[in-house]
Amino acid sequence: MAVDSGVNPASASEAFIDYSALRALVVEDYPGMRNALRLSLTNFGITRVQLAANAAEAIYQVKQKSYDFILCDFNLGDGRDGQQLLEELRHSHLISLETVFMMVTAESYYEKVVATAELAPDDYMIKPFSPEVLRSRLESVLFRKRAFRDVYRHFQAQELDAAIAGCDKLIQGKPKYLVDALRFKGELLVTLGRFEEAEALYQQVISMRAIPWARLGLSRALHLQNKDEAAEEVLRDVMEQAPEMVAAYDLLSDVCLARKDAPAAQVALEKGVAISARTVRRQQKLGEIAHTNGDLDTARTAFSNVLEKGRHSVFVTPGDFGNLCRVQMEQGDLQGAADILKKNKSTLQASPEGQLVMAVTQGMVHVKSGKLREAAKAVAEAIALRERGTRGDANLMLDMAGTCMASGRHDEADGIVGEVARNAHDSEVLLARARKIYDEAGRTDAGASVLAVATADVRKLNNEGVVLAQRGDFRAAVDKLLTACAEAPRNPRIMMNAVWVILKYVDQAGMDETMIEAARRHLDEAERQAPGHARLAGLRLQLKNVESRFGIRRKGSA
Amino acid sequence: MKFDGTDLYAALIHELKNDLGLLSMTIDGIPLQGDTAHDATVDAARLLCQNVVDRLQQSLLIYKAIDQPIRPAIDAWSPHDAVREIRDRAAALARGRIRVEAALAPDVPEIWFFDRDLVEMALINAIHNSLAHARSVLRIEASMTDGCLALTVRDDSAGYPEHILACVATNAPCQSTGTGLGLQFSRLIAQSHDNRGRRGELRLHNDQGAVFCLLLP
Repeated sequence: MAVDSGVNPASASEAFIDYSALRALVVEDYPGMRNALRLSLTNFGITRVQLAANAAEAIYQVKQKSYDFILCDFNLGDGRDGQQLLEELRHSHLISLETVFMMVTAESYYEKVVATAELAPDDYMIKPFSPEVLRSRLESVLFRKRAFRDVYRHFQAQELDAAIAGCDKLIQGKPKYLVDALRFKGELLVTLGRFEEAEALYQQVISMRAIPWARLGLSRALHLQNKDEAAEEVLRDVMEQAPEMVAAYDLLSDVCLARKDAPAAQVALEKGVAISARTVRRQQKLGEIAHTNGDLDTARTAFSNVLEKGRHSVFVTPGDFGNLCRVQMEQGDLQGAADILKKNKSTLQASPEGQLVMAVTQGMVHVKSGKLREAAKAVAEAIALRERGTRGDANLMLDMAGTCMASGRHDEADGIVGEVARNAHDSEVLLARARKIYDEAGRTDAGASVLAVATADVRKLNNEGVVLAQRGDFRAAVDKLLTACAEAPRNPRIMMNAVWVILKYVDQAGMDETMIEAARRHLDEAERQAPGHARLAGLRLQLKNVESRFGIRRKGSA
Repeated sequence: MKFDGTDLYAALIHELKNDLGLLSMTIDGIPLQGDTAHDATVDAARLLCQNVVDRLQQSLLIYKAIDQPIRPAIDAWSPHDAVREIRDRAAALARGRIRVEAALAPDVPEIWFFDRDLVEMALINAIHNSLAHARSVLRIEASMTDGCLALTVRDDSAGYPEHILACVATNAPCQSTGTGLGLQFSRLIAQSHDNRGRRGELRLHNDQGAVFCLLLP
């Protein structure tokens, strides 16, 4: 009927989408809407539709089988919201880049929050919408995914250079996807540590139009090159233009921390939390920074929110319970801490890490309430767990050291503090906290010597290793740094330096299977200790290059 | 939650908008029976329902624009996709009662920078107008004018009345009900688009019918 000209220039065969082959999942808490959405999908040929009423059901369904299309309401009642669901699905690799994830928002305000989120959905719809709009947008996203197929394939195989080449092909040949390809390439460049190129790329986008995500990308590229003043200037502009862009506040807090301005970092995170309070990781960070700043009320609220809003979230760890209890005790609220432990007993008992949190925190409560016999029992339990290899985060281990000291177990305490210090030889905040624990126990001099010995060893080995590597003596550098790794088995900086010199050595001297195995192990540990660290992806890629050059296929590698 | 008076109204409108959206989807589910009396009634209900939904969406936006200027969320979008989407929506609303055409000039680029949701709201508003007044045809066009992307809705109605053309041409406030309200809203959206000092415009004229045109810099 319609007489159209110039619309849909793509050839008919290229533009065909077989809707009957698509598997769809509708996530919506309101039953009426859920069924109406299913009906809409059925009307344009998507017949394989599953329904989920909340995030937990959605995750269950996605684990059972894979979906091509997830249509998800932002507001899912009391549990996690749609954005949290998306972050968990991507974080846990439950959905791939090929899966279309579309968010439905009712509030036009949240539409902006969703649209500008760092981990953005493929597209979003404002409720109420007509079936025609849904169909048209789904079709656009499916075509885009088709155009990016090679890029995604390389990305998922961690062939980042090939993924970048794929983006370049789109940038040159598909003007429709120019901006999408630039955006993806920018993220790849940052992952690879090619910050200068990323900076130039974002400038290129901004020269077309100063859209907020491009300016955020520019700011991040600047920050990663330690150009924090320029980064902050860009961010202030972004916030004025797009105040609902939460990621800008997260980045600003990183920039402030780099400038050693923790109070400003806290202010930035508080603004981010005011926009989107549910994100667990933002609350965790706010709690930590507020705690460092001595703002116990804010820290307590943030850590409580982590547990409350993050119920069932993959981002919540046993350490989060320890964090909240620590603040409560510092506020003198022993009962509050005891209640948290009691209420979450079964969760904590389920893992050795949780048991350690429980034992350490219980020990602290007993020490503070003068019940020394019970404290000694809890301390013994914690020590037994540690001897079996269980560890907590650095702050929990310092709590443990403090409790050991209060129970008179000085040797164990010194051992724990030494270990923490070796693993965090460059962290001012943790070393200061360790010193404080010794001061409070009246062992200032003992503490100074424990810390000095621990950090000096690691620092010396690390520096010597790096100097040897710079002189080109990679073999000796490897020895130094592997010794440092043995001394400080959870120190991400040392691990990464060790991996770096091993790769240099193999590059120069030829294949050495044992060394490569050590590099793999240390890289994995570095990733566990400092997830998302800027150097990791570059090292990962170099390792992969070395492996493929020498014809090694890792067992089970994708 | 705590509301003051106006926030309460906004929340209420918001809820009504969502209920009406559901009602509209329910009406979509009523099958056509080939019986003109029945089908025409269902169509009329559907159109009216969609119209009210779109109007409520506008009123929420205008309510917000009282306190602060509309801040568009600009990103790169395909004008081709936008025209296709609007054409499909118009065709669904028209249900064959009025013919819907679409045309893209060859010089329209593959991507342009604008706030897709705001621009589509403005265009849908014009389409409701045209569906109410057109005799037989409605046409959606994309072209380049004065370095701007021009998105146009034209029909074969009797055209805009003189006072409407005058108020849009002089940037004066229009009457605050019906067509006037919608046009005022579209003008706000157009003007909120700004590229290096060049502001967007709403242009209206009559040319064998009403011609509604958004110019996006």
